[in-house]
Amino acid sequence: MARNRHDGRRGGTDLSGRLVAREATAAARVPEYVTRAPTGLYVGLNPTTKFVIALVEAAFAFLVRGWTGPLLVLAIVLATAVATHVTRRMIPYVLATLPLVVSIMLVNTFFYPGAHDPIGSIGPFTATWTGLVAALQATLRVVAFALSVAVFSLTTATDDLLSDLERRGLGRRGEFVIGAAVRTVPRMIERAGEIVDAQRARGLDTQGGPIRRIRGLLPLTGPMISSALGEVEERTLALEARAFTAPGRRTEIRRLPDTGAQRLLRWGSVLAVAAVVGATIAGVISLP
Amino acid sequence: MPIQLAIVSYRYPGTPRPVLVNMDLAIAAGEVVGVAGANESGKSTLCLVASGLAPGVVGGRLEGSVSIDGATTASLKPFELAQRCGILFQNSATQLSGTTRSVWEEIAFGPRNLGLAVGEVVERVEHALASLAIQALAERDPQRLSGGQAQLVALAAVLALRPPYLVLDEPTSQLDPQGTRLVGDALAALAAERGTGILLVEHKTDLLARLAGRVIVLDAGTVALEGAVADVLSDAALHALGVEPPSAVVLQRAVADAGLTLDAGALAAAVGAVGAGADVRVDR
Amino acid sequence: MTAPSTRPAISVEAVGFVYPDGTRALADVTLAIPAGQRVAIIGQNGSGKSTLVRQLNGLLSPTEGRVLVDGRDAKGRHVADLAATVGLAFQNPDRQIFAGRVRREVEFGPRNLGLRGHALDEAVSAALAAVGLSDQTEANPYDLGYSRRKLLAMASVLAMRTPIVALDEPTTGQDARGVGRVQSIVGSLVADGRTVLAISHDMRFVAETFERVVVLRAGRLVLDGTPWEVFDAPNWPLLASTFLEPPVAARVGANLGLGSTPTTSALIAALRVRGA
Repeated sequence: MARNRHDGRRGGTDLSGRLVAREATAAARVPEYVTRAPTGLYVGLNPTTKFVIALVEAAFAFLVRGWTGPLLVLAIVLATAVATHVTRRMIPYVLATLPLVVSIMLVNTFFYPGAHDPIGSIGPFTATWTGLVAALQATLRVVAFALSVAVFSLTTATDDLLSDLERRGLGRRGEFVIGAAVRTVPRMIERAGEIVDAQRARGLDTQGGPIRRIRGLLPLTGPMISSALGEVEERTLALEARAFTAPGRRTEIRRLPDTGAQRLLRWGSVLAVAAVVGATIAGVISLP
Repeated sequence: MPIQLAIVSYRYPGTPRPVLVNMDLAIAAGEVVGVAGANESGKSTLCLVASGLAPGVVGGRLEGSVSIDGATTASLKPFELAQRCGILFQNSATQLSGTTRSVWEEIAFGPRNLGLAVGEVVERVEHALASLAIQALAERDPQRLSGGQAQLVALAAVLALRPPYLVLDEPTSQLDPQGTRLVGDALAALAAERGTGILLVEHKTDLLARLAGRVIVLDAGTVALEGAVADVLSDAALHALGVEPPSAVVLQRAVADAGLTLDAGALAAAVGAVGAGADVRVDR
Repeated sequence: MTAPSTRPAISVEAVGFVYPDGTRALADVTLAIPAGQRVAIIGQNGSGKSTLVRQLNGLLSPTEGRVLVDGRDAKGRHVADLAATVGLAFQNPDRQIFAGRVRREVEFGPRNLGLRGHALDEAVSAALAAVGLSDQTEANPYDLGYSRRKLLAMASVLAMRTPIVALDEPTTGQDARGVGRVQSIVGSLVADGRTVLAISHDMRFVAETFERVVVLRAGRLVLDGTPWEVFDAPNWPLLASTFLEPPVAARVGANLGLGSTPTTSALIAALRVRGA
């Protein structure tokens, strides 16, 4: 991590004209709480590395036919989750896949085309073994993907990823737009909370059954969105006033560590996955 | 070579009536020009026009010319304008970028945008924090600040760009009395030591009395009063123009109306300023 | 049982408040406000003023102590319930305003309280007239400037005709006319027998408009009295410790040895007495 030492000046003047003796190093460094990077075997990896790993895992889970793909990814992801202590926090991500998983199971088990090995029937619908196997495999793929997304987002700060990507070429506008978009939802939820508070203070009844609550809160949604949009113009103005659209690269005040080994890992894993996927599709190798 | 507005009229996009009409204004280096006026008199629009953001970014139609140090604002790109003239808006909440994790990074936003060397960025941020005495806020989340704190941070962020001119729209509106005094001191120092030319819009005429050399009073987009601060702020027409005179003037007038006299020295000491604040004349 | 007229409208008893993230905002605040009093709450940014006021209408609940509104404990009562008694105008009007038309915005509160028809129209018109927005009933709030939106937020609360009205920084950003309006609003509320609380940084407004001033510092109540008492010279160091300054009139009076003169009229009166 770069040490940003400001050399040369012996001292300076503060705004009231008094000479301010500059301590040798303290005054000219970017503070620790700004440059601080996470540590840990996996967590401490460069965010782009983690991002690439997540993409590679997703590709492997979905593109490799058979059981190997999803099972391998699942194993790696679960191992990473245990090592980084995020297993419990992954539960919401798994729950989020439930609706999809249920429909996959039903559709594949009962409606798999060309299957002739029935398990049993419920009414006019017949479940087949082939269908069931396909269903389980598809489910595994979805769950493996969801968990790899979970592990990535639970161990990587959006800010870290975006600032690293900006350095690699995403640019300041990309970083800003994506960052603002990601922050928008939690911010709007918070904003909604404040607006609801203000309206409760004017007698809006938020107790009672869900229907009553929704009916009470509904008139707030439109104006909440329009005032958020109205802010956009002011924010754009403020950005311009702070030279956001100046050309060139922004000064980097924080560099997240990256190593040759990680670079190798990133390129290596991408090539490996591409090779394996290509080979299985071409029929050169066949995995269970 | 100052900021110069020459016979400027301006109207916002899609509106028929101009908000500023035939304005002439010059702000020289090291000068503090105060702007007072009722709400809706065009003060905020004047700020946007003087800084070049209108019509540059806002759009609308400008007649006449606005130039900063000889270059017309129409000929400068927004980031070039930002480097010549810093602006602080009335609403400080929307002025913060919303993408930084700490106040330190928020203040560094501007200098970083300009691609300055890291050492320079650090120096500017530390200096801005110190000049407004908000070092204690440096680690805080900018989204979790009170109104007054956010206003100070927004001002620090503008100061970090070190523009030769500043246009400030009610920079102390949410500050407590000492915060107001602190900002006043910082601005006075900037004008005196760095030669920053400052256009200061304020309702707090006591502050204008302390800081400004000249004051203009706007009314419906035109300049209704203009002149040395002592003259303008003791003008009898102020109240009709929606401007509260400074405490010193109010007191002197009330005392004179009651047929009593007030020791000028006591008044001067109370107002706490040497010069403009205290030697206001009372026009009957 | 105490007679209603002597029971305080608001009683804050040893109230403390700690935010969920551990920040302490209030500590051991005790305050009893009789009905019909005009109280100003002053103190530095972050001294707990807004937090205190939010304990009164239930938006926040004390973590220590209790708050009695009109004799009843506010604990466990719904905000919407308390809103009929305590009206709060937020510091930032944009957190409160949500309707697309001024009239609808002002109607929202009284409507929630059950007003309809003629009574509703009357409440709305009176409120808009008090803030000077009668000619803007069909305007979009966001077409009005910030200061007029602030007045609109105040009108929305006035229309609810609550016995207790709390104003958070009502004069911030207002021009002379706006400040004058706020002062006359406070006057007419009090004439109506209502209790008014206001948070403010404007010492002149505070000294001229309120009969009682409460000073907070770091979440604690450090001074409580009339403007004469609070802005008297011996208290200036205490005021300075919470980033406040006395009004200019008070300083002039002290420099002339006239005692406590927090307002222009007080100064004039003192000069007369001295025979200047």
